[in-house]
Formats: sequence, structure tokens, C-alpha cells
Amino acid sequence: MVMELEYNRSLYGIEHEAGPFEISREQIKGFSTGLGETGRIYVDEVAAQDEGYRDVVAPPTFCTVLVNKVKLPDINLQFGRTSMHAGQRVQYRAPIVAGDSLTASSHLKDVYAKTGRSGTMVFVVWETTFRNQDGTVVADVQESFARRE
Amino acid sequence: MVYFEDVDLGDEIGPLETEATDDGVVSFCTVWQSQMPNRFTDREIAEQSRLPGPIVPGIMSMGIMARLLTDWAGPAAVRDLDLVFRQPVPHHKPLRVSATVTDTRQEDGENLVECDILMTGAEGERYVGGKAIVALPSKS
Amino acid sequence: MYLDLHSHSVSSDDSRATVEQYLKWIAVLRKRGHAVDGIVLTEHRKFDFDMDYSALAAQYDVRVFKGSELDTRYGHFLVYGVSRALTDEIDFSDVRMDARELLIAARHHGAIAVPAHPGRFGIGLTEYIQQGEVFKDVHIVERLNGGSRAGENERAWDLCDSHGYLGIGGSDAHLTSHIAACLTYFPQTIDNEQQLVEALLSERFRPVWLEEARNEAAPA
Repeated sequence: MVMELEYNRSLYGIEHEAGPFEISREQIKGFSTGLGETGRIYVDEVAAQDEGYRDVVAPPTFCTVLVNKVKLPDINLQFGRTSMHAGQRVQYRAPIVAGDSLTASSHLKDVYAKTGRSGTMVFVVWETTFRNQDGTVVADVQESFARRE
Repeated sequence: MVYFEDVDLGDEIGPLETEATDDGVVSFCTVWQSQMPNRFTDREIAEQSRLPGPIVPGIMSMGIMARLLTDWAGPAAVRDLDLVFRQPVPHHKPLRVSATVTDTRQEDGENLVECDILMTGAEGERYVGGKAIVALPSKS
Repeated sequence: MYLDLHSHSVSSDDSRATVEQYLKWIAVLRKRGHAVDGIVLTEHRKFDFDMDYSALAAQYDVRVFKGSELDTRYGHFLVYGVSRALTDEIDFSDVRMDARELLIAARHHGAIAVPAHPGRFGIGLTEYIQQGEVFKDVHIVERLNGGSRAGENERAWDLCDSHGYLGIGGSDAHLTSHIAACLTYFPQTIDNEQQLVEALLSERFRPVWLEEARNEAAPA
């Protein structure tokens, strides 16, 4: 009895664009203080400018907040009800600074089944690339979600 | 200041000991503009998702784990953080974040340190685990 | 010799360690006085026929063998001695396969299948035996698993006692520094996967924690 996964496979190979996301000082400072970050370039624009940045700099995982705002298409997976965040990777490639305007480009990477302590799960993996107003890639984010029976 | 030359395989980073409070999670969800109540802030909604109680958002755990690295290597050092969320992270429980250096190498003109990074609980729970890469300055 | 019979490299979806990083880490463990002679890569739901780790194995002087960890409807099973004939008969990606068919097919093709982490809550063999399932072709289980939560290795221990199973040990490492946390001690030298199958069939082995695997003295 092989388990056949039913979902919209035509989504493979298609890039979904989102944004622009205007990055404010308040967002970066709120994210930093919410996590207890003490790096002055995260919370103090003068300190950031002393270090050669235009404004406060986002901590390394800041993009995880933005990727949550990207409305990904429904892959129409015929399995389970509850979806949990199973994993995340952030590759931080260039500084994200207050005043930046970022765009996101996402694609479906993989869908597969596995079993674990909580039964059979189907994993859905998406990859998103963030670029700034100059077209520079600032971060790549990979997210996986586990759907449970 | 940590220099690349001072780091060896097997070195331990941290631990960072912390805990996520209800208020902390709410304020994080506010920054994130996540619609509340949700399974991170509300017991009933969490239980409907078959969770034992409200949990810490994965991206908040990730941010806390990144803080271990920014505290150690500076705010511009982290290049890659790749995590698997293995168990729901509860509110108001001691969380311990630690890392172990597993590789050092020079790549594309940068001095890279790779480490395993874990968020564990007081009872040995392995909540989150993964790997991180940070770039360090050289003495030379 | 001491072999870690359960590990995952980046070839598995949820592992973040490369084979070379494991081997570098084993050099660290050896410097600390631990005896680690080899690892078996048991990637999830697949067998990497095309992967050749012999150059790395020689460079770091660590045996690197290949196996698989398969999902079945009765929990996960480690498979040693995988061949084309076995993958032709069994779909390794089928998470709902009948483990009893896997056990028979493995032996038929010169391989051996062993229940992984049988004490694991929700998915270990113990759960299915308690539900009344019978597995007459199981003789060996993974008694020590480095990824176990509190109580799970103890349940595996109890299962061995109650059913007369022999036990192996494996780290179930998904991160570099977790490799070799648990090992299996064999009295003889093992140089390839086929010899590993024979050693398991010979029933002369035992599971150990890394702390017990020291360079200076082989256990009695």
C-alpha cells in the first residue's frame, strides 16, 4: 500500500513574487528588543552610522518575520489538518537596513511523507529569496511545514 | 572579541539561559503582526491544535538561538542558521541555548566557524537543533 | 571494534551534518581517548547507491558503510547489506510498507532489517507489540539510540529482556557532534557491509555508550 500524495504539482518551477516590504526603524528595533538583542547597530542608528551603515541593521533572522507575510499559494494537499512549523533556514547574505524596500520571490521546493512519534506527516518545503531596492540578494530563507493526520 | 585563530573544534559556545514569558511572546507576535489570539498566546487554540499549551513561535526560538551567536561573535557575524523544530517550546520553562564548534575553514576570503546549535530544556528535551555558520575576524 | 550503526548525513532531509564533518568530529573524539572505528550512514527512506565515501574514509581512517532507515507502518527499521535486488523488491520510500515483508525480503537478499529505537513513544516496536502485533523475524533491535527521549532506551531494554532480543547501539545523529553517542561493539574486524551483516547474524556484539568505548581496553 504505497502512499500517494495528492497536491498541486503544477506549482513546481513557478516563482511567486511578494512585496515590497518597507523596513522601518521601529520594526527592526522592536524585533531586536523582543529577542533581547543588545548589539547597538540593531537598536541605535547613531551607533550603526558610526559602523558605516545607513541606519539600524536587522538581526540575522529578521527575514523570518517577513517570510510569514508572504502569502504562499495553497498547494491543495489532500492530507491532514494541522500544520506545524518544522524547520527553517536563513542564509544572511547582505545587511538589511532600516529604509530598505525588500521584495520576495518564493518557490515550492519539495513535498514528502515521513513518520514520527506523532504519526504520519507530510512535509512541504518552500524557498524564498529576498532582494533589496538595488537588486542585491540580502537573504535566502527555507521553511518546512509538517502536516499531521 | 573572538578571533578565528582562537577557535578550535569541540569548543563550546554559551550557554545562553533564558525563558519565554507570555508577555514576551505577545510582544514578539505584535512585532511580527501575527493575528492574535493564536496558538502562541491562547491555551484553548493551542489545545485545539493538539498542543499541551501555548508555544513559543518557531521564528522566536530561532531569534533567541541567533542571539547566542551575535553575543559571541558580534552583530554582523552570522551567515547561516539552519534549524529543525523538534518539539514544541513551552512558555515559562528554562531554555538553554548552546553550540559546539564542529568545523573551521576559510572560504571566499572569510574565516568561517561552523557549529551545532541546540535549544534544550531542563529535562534534556531537545526542542530545536541545527547548525550555524559565523564569520570571524582574523588576528593577521 | 566499535561501530555507530545509525547515522544521517545531509542526504537525509532532517540532518545537517556532512559525512566529512562526522569524520572530523570522530578525530576529535579519538583525541579525547574514545574508540570509534566506523559509522553506518542509514539515510531515511532511501539507499544512496551512487555515493562513494571511500576516499574520505581512507583520509580520516574511519570505516564508512552505507545502510538505510526505512519508515514502515510498524515503525522505523534499519537495514544493513542493501542491494539492488532488495530495492527492486521493496519501495524504500513507502512509509506504510509492512515491516514483516521487509524483514523477510532483507534476509532473502542477504541483508538484515533491525527495528530502530523500539522504545520510542508513538512509533517504536514496543507500541505495536503491545497492540498484539507479532514479529517472528525480529531477533535484534536497536537497544541504545542516541536520539531517545527520557524512558525510551529503558523501554527498549525491557523489550530485549522480555523477548530475548539482542541489542545494537547507534547515535541516530543528525548533527555533527552527536555522532557515535551510542555504538555497537564487535569482537572482530568488519571491513564492509556484507561482513557487518555476517557479524550481526553471528550474534556476538553488544551496545555501548560512547563513554564505555575507550582506546586502551577492549571490553571482555
